[in-house]
Amino acid sequence: MMTEANSKNITENRRVFQTPLADIYETDDIYSVKLEMPGVTKENLNVIIDDDELKITAESSIEENESDLKYADFYPKNFSRTFRVGNDIDRNKIDAKLDNGILTLTLQKSEEIKPKKITVNQVN
Amino acid sequence: MYTYNIFNDMIKLRTIFDDFFDQKPGYEASREFPPVQIKEADDRITIKALVPGISTENIDIQLVDDSLVISGVKKDDYENHPYIRKERLFGEFKKTIRLPYRVKHDEIKADLANGVLTINLSKSEDAKPKKIDIN
Repeated sequence: MMTEANSKNITENRRVFQTPLADIYETDDIYSVKLEMPGVTKENLNVIIDDDELKITAESSIEENESDLKYADFYPKNFSRTFRVGNDIDRNKIDAKLDNGILTLTLQKSEEIKPKKITVNQVN
Repeated sequence: MYTYNIFNDMIKLRTIFDDFFDQKPGYEASREFPPVQIKEADDRITIKALVPGISTENIDIQLVDDSLVISGVKKDDYENHPYIRKERLFGEFKKTIRLPYRVKHDEIKADLANGVLTINLSKSEDAKPKKIDIN
């Protein structure tokens, strides 16, 4: 789970999108994905899970006005990143939170794959 | 329900290679932090800086002579769990922006929204040309 996947039409999107930086950790119950997406608001953010792909896209809300621009380290670009997810994710329990340019996704692992303790019954 | 199929991965191998060479983060990590954009129009300067995940109390903006100094600390938010991927960078930062003219000290406005810091400055009166009458 959680390998980098690729959008099918990446050749045409390549120059338009930028890849947000991500931190991912895993616990027994969840995967947590934190992405840096400055300038993104809740309204122009899309998180879609389809088959084995978790796709995050967002439009930058920073307006473009080239004429007044004197210096730029960055240009407003739309964000796009796709992660491959496996069968171990509960698709109905994905939580997304956007706070000050950081998107936090919490993916619950499905109950079937969680380690389960089996109680042993004493039979006498 | 998705079922894992190893052949999907094999078909995708080529795009994995393409991605390795083509996918870039929004700004180069080697560059100074934070990345800024400076706009200038009608005696006004607007500076935008990308500071995702940094709260207002961790950003310090100072006006020193005719330079604007943005400094602060980006605190890591690591949890005590094994990480699969660690791409984000943390630490202290400081950036000095030389302004093209003197600005009004009492009319500096800074807003932080969605990880973007916007600083508005306006030209000081004594930086504007003044016509001198000849007697």
